[in-house]
Amino acid sequence: MSDTIVSTGTIAAAVQSGELPARVWMYSNYHCNLACSYCLTESSPRSERRQLTAEQMIAVAEQARELGFTALGITGGEPFLLPWLPETVLAMAEHLPLVLLTNGTLFAGDRIERAAALAHPDVALQISLDSHLPDVNDMARGPDNFAKVVEAVPRLLARGVRVRIATTTGGPLDSPALSPLQHLVASLGVAEADHLIRPIVRRGRADEFGLGVQAVARDIPCELTITGDGAFWGSFGPTVRSGRLDTDLLLTRTILPLAVPANALLGVLRGMPEGTDARLGIR
Amino acid sequence: MRDDGQMPRVDLFDLDHAPITVQDYFTVGDPGPIVAALAAVPELMAPTLGFIGAALGPGSIGVRYKEFAILRTSVLQGCSYCIHAHTTVSLDAGLSNLEIRALRGEVALEVGFPLDDERALIGWIDALAGATGPIPDDVWHAAQRYWPQHSLVELTVTVGATMFLNRFATGFQLPTAPHVTERLVAAGMA
Ligand code: SF4
Repeated sequence: MSDTIVSTGTIAAAVQSGELPARVWMYSNYHCNLACSYCLTESSPRSERRQLTAEQMIAVAEQARELGFTALGITGGEPFLLPWLPETVLAMAEHLPLVLLTNGTLFAGDRIERAAALAHPDVALQISLDSHLPDVNDMARGPDNFAKVVEAVPRLLARGVRVRIATTTGGPLDSPALSPLQHLVASLGVAEADHLIRPIVRRGRADEFGLGVQAVARDIPCELTITGDGAFWGSFGPTVRSGRLDTDLLLTRTILPLAVPANALLGVLRGMPEGTDARLGIR
Repeated sequence: MRDDGQMPRVDLFDLDHAPITVQDYFTVGDPGPIVAALAAVPELMAPTLGFIGAALGPGSIGVRYKEFAILRTSVLQGCSYCIHAHTTVSLDAGLSNLEIRALRGEVALEVGFPLDDERALIGWIDALAGATGPIPDDVWHAAQRYWPQHSLVELTVTVGATMFLNRFATGFQLPTAPHVTERLVAAGMA
C-alpha cells in the first residue's frame, strides 16, 4: 500500500472529492511555556524543541496549495515562542488560509502587538479555554491561565484578529455543565461557531495520567501533519510519551516535497476499509 | 564467527511502534531486524525491499550462484549478520558444507570449487567486493569466458545489494536471529 504512486493531480482530486482532508497541519515546535496535564506532546519549557524552520513552513504552505489542499493549521508546543512566527504566518497566509493554535498566555501588555500583526482575513487564532471556573481551568493548564486568556481574547478581537476558542473536556461533549463556559466565551465576543469542544485524546501525557478517550490509530482523524520529525497521519499522531515520539502514525520522514507524504497518506487511506472515519468527535 | 553480544545501535520497531505506512510488514510476525530497523524511515521500506528482493532472489542465474555472490561478498565485507543468515540460506540452496567453508575462506577455494567456471565467477565476485578501484582485465576476461554478460550484470547487482546490506547490518549491529544460530550449530557451521 505504501508504494502507491499518485500524481499531484490525484491529490487535488482526492481533496475535492473529500477522500483526502483539505487541511495540512504543521507542528512549528514542541516546547511550551505551559505544561498542561493532558498535553499530547508532553510540552513544557524544557521539552525538546523539534522545530520546523520558517523556510520549511512557508514551503509546506506553498506546496500544499500547489497540490490542491485548501487550508493550513499550525500547532505546537506554543508557536508564539518562536521569534519569527508572525511574519512567517503572514507569508504562509499568502498561499492558504490558516488557523494558528496558541495557549493565549503570551499576549500580556505590549506583547499583544505581536499577535495583533496577525489581523488578516485568512488567519485565525485558536485559543484553549477549558472551564468557566478559573480554578478548574487552571488545574490542568497551570496558574493564571484563565485570567490571561480572558484578558487576551477581547484585546485580540479589538485589534481585528480572528479568534476561535477550543475547549478540551474529559466529559460528554454535549454536557449542560459546559453552558456557563459557552456563555463566557460568547461574552468575550467569540461567535458560537468559533467555539470548538473536543474530547481529551489519550495519547502523550494524557495517556500517562490515564485521562481521555482511548484513541486507536484509525479512530484518529486523518489530516496530513508535518513535523520536524516527519509527516504523520493526523494532528494527534506525533504525540510524545515518556520523552519518546510516537511513531505508529508516522507516514514518512520526508516532509518536502510535500507530495511525498501526501501520496503516502493517500496510499494508506486507499488501503483502508470504508467507514473508518472519526467517531470520537476529535477535531 | 562471533556475535559479540552487541546491542543494535538503532531502534528495532515492533508492531506497536511501526509507522502506519509499513505496519503490514509486521502483522505476519517478526519481520527480522533489517525490516525492523528500516521502519524508522518508512518511505524507504518498499523500494529498498523491492530492490533487495529482486537483487538477492533466484533471478535468471539461480540460487546457487546468487548465494556464491551473497555469502562471499558478506565474508569479504566482514558482516557476521549476513554470513550467519546466508550460511543457512546456502545450505537450503543445496551448497555443501565444503563449498560453504570455501566461500567463507575456511578452506582453499580450489578444494571447494574444482571447476574453472565457478572459480572464474568467484574471482569476479572477489574483485568487486574484496577490493577497491579498477578491476583487472584478466578477472573480467576469465569470467566472460564462461558466463554470459547478462549473468554477470545480474550477479554484480547482487554483489552491490549485498554490500549495502552488509554495511547496514554491520553499522547498526543488527543481531543474528536465535533460529539462525540454532541452525548453524546444528549444521556444525557456527
Ligand atoms: S496543551 Fe498546549 S498549552 Fe498545554 S503544555 Fe501542551 S502545548 Fe502547551
